[in-house]
Amino acid sequence: MKIKENLDSYLKYVSNWEEKIGSFLEFDISRTKGMSTVEGQLAGIPFGVKDNFAVEGFNITCGSKILEGVSAPYTATSVAKLQAAGAVVVGKTNLDAFGMGSSTDNSAFKITNNPWDTNRVAGGSSGGSAAAVAAGIVPFALGSDTGGSVRQPASFCGVYGLKPTYGVVSRYGLTAYASSLDVVGVVARTVEMTKTVFDTMKGQDIKDNTSVSHPGSRNNGDVKKIAVLKIEDGSLSDDVAKSYLESRKLLEKLGYDIVEIELPSLEYVVPVYYTIATAEASANLARYNGLRYGYRSKNGNDPGEIMQTSRDEGFGDEVKLRILLGTYVLRSGFQDQFYHKAQKIRTAIRNEFDKIFELADLIMMPVFPTAAFKHGSKDLDPFQQKVADRYTCAANLTGLPALAIPSSIENGLPVGVQFTAPAFEEDRLFNIAKVLEKDFPSPLAPGTKNWSII
Amino acid sequence: MKLDELYITARLAKLDLGEKEAEKLSVEVSRMLEYFAVMEKVDVAGLDATVQTLDRGNITRSDVVSSLDVTGRILANAPETEDRFIIIPKVL
Repeated sequence: MKIKENLDSYLKYVSNWEEKIGSFLEFDISRTKGMSTVEGQLAGIPFGVKDNFAVEGFNITCGSKILEGVSAPYTATSVAKLQAAGAVVVGKTNLDAFGMGSSTDNSAFKITNNPWDTNRVAGGSSGGSAAAVAAGIVPFALGSDTGGSVRQPASFCGVYGLKPTYGVVSRYGLTAYASSLDVVGVVARTVEMTKTVFDTMKGQDIKDNTSVSHPGSRNNGDVKKIAVLKIEDGSLSDDVAKSYLESRKLLEKLGYDIVEIELPSLEYVVPVYYTIATAEASANLARYNGLRYGYRSKNGNDPGEIMQTSRDEGFGDEVKLRILLGTYVLRSGFQDQFYHKAQKIRTAIRNEFDKIFELADLIMMPVFPTAAFKHGSKDLDPFQQKVADRYTCAANLTGLPALAIPSSIENGLPVGVQFTAPAFEEDRLFNIAKVLEKDFPSPLAPGTKNWSII
Repeated sequence: MKLDELYITARLAKLDLGEKEAEKLSVEVSRMLEYFAVMEKVDVAGLDATVQTLDRGNITRSDVVSSLDVTGRILANAPETEDRFIIIPKVL
């Protein structure tokens, strides 16, 4: 059914699903309509944007009380490029505050549920974006990925999740969490849509000095040899282990040259990641002080006191935990033990990946050790959720592109698998994903439907 | 992490933590720091630090005036304003 000709039924569909999953913090199909061109490769395609991107006409809360009601004064470059290609922003999606979390339960505003099972999380931190795409509300949505925040929710919801090479998509207008790790990512229903959105957004931007132009693939994105990460017994849930093994068998059946590898440095990626990410976060989040914009506490008599009370009342628990950790590892006397050490191990991790890419075109590994878990930390407490980031945060530490691909349904829940490529080799990821999509396309959650776009 | 260490860190981070909150957070921060300790056993001799992954130098641009007229929209987000000034409690 076409959205354009059936606007009323589309809106009814959206409100029906939104009641169940709560993927959007704001939804309004007409608010930014005039900002999109009427022609272009993405003309008329609605999309959602994670609420840590600036989009003129909408708020930018980052899922935190400290930015409640703050309206975006301008539009992020990534979003503006999509608007220039005709795509229309229909709303801002829910997230773990400032991108910090794996469940979207750390949002100050609402709970987002997984369209496959509303007792379960949609993943995070881009949980709203993944849930909205999986529920068929939008064919794609933007997310940010600092340690897996696009790939893990995509995997939990049965859709594609791309983390591009560091620097390839401009971050102008994306709220900074950890500057050496953050990238703009894509959640989408099909490989073709993922690629089109990425190709539209990529490129150097004068407004972001960490952005680079994309040189293109060195080998036309050809994939022949795939390094498959050996998984130790007990590191994955039975469902994910089964799905992972089947993905490997499928690659063999399709004629790819498979080589099994180990990545000893994976043992260190999570501590290294959380040391660096929290250190950078503590600096980036120092700007929220209640004086110039956002939440200002009524407790306190002078600016210094108001800063402290506004931050204590405005930030949620997880954000405070990460600011404290980051401040601690940067404190004089502790820097060598934590931050500097982590930066050096980061080099060792990069070297290990580089070595594998001397003998293989791609690396296959899991996305997350489990399928979507239940709300309220019943299955995985917040600490265990962090430890479980081991397969995703390596791509952020190395800057390499990675794609989460739906691989199977296990006990009613989608499971995904992840491919990592050398820098700027996104085309290799799209090529393998297109091959696998023929065998297993993004599955439709029960009761959802695929709207034809124009 | 001992509670007094946590309070020093919180002060540096400009967080006015309540007592209960501090106790809860000190447990969580400690759990993470214990987990970070695994890094101690890694031999990093001869390795440089990775501060960014693009492996390139500074990017510069010419110093050209350009205008993005968003002052009004930015000021509209301030908690309290008078004309074009943001009001805060007295500093001195």
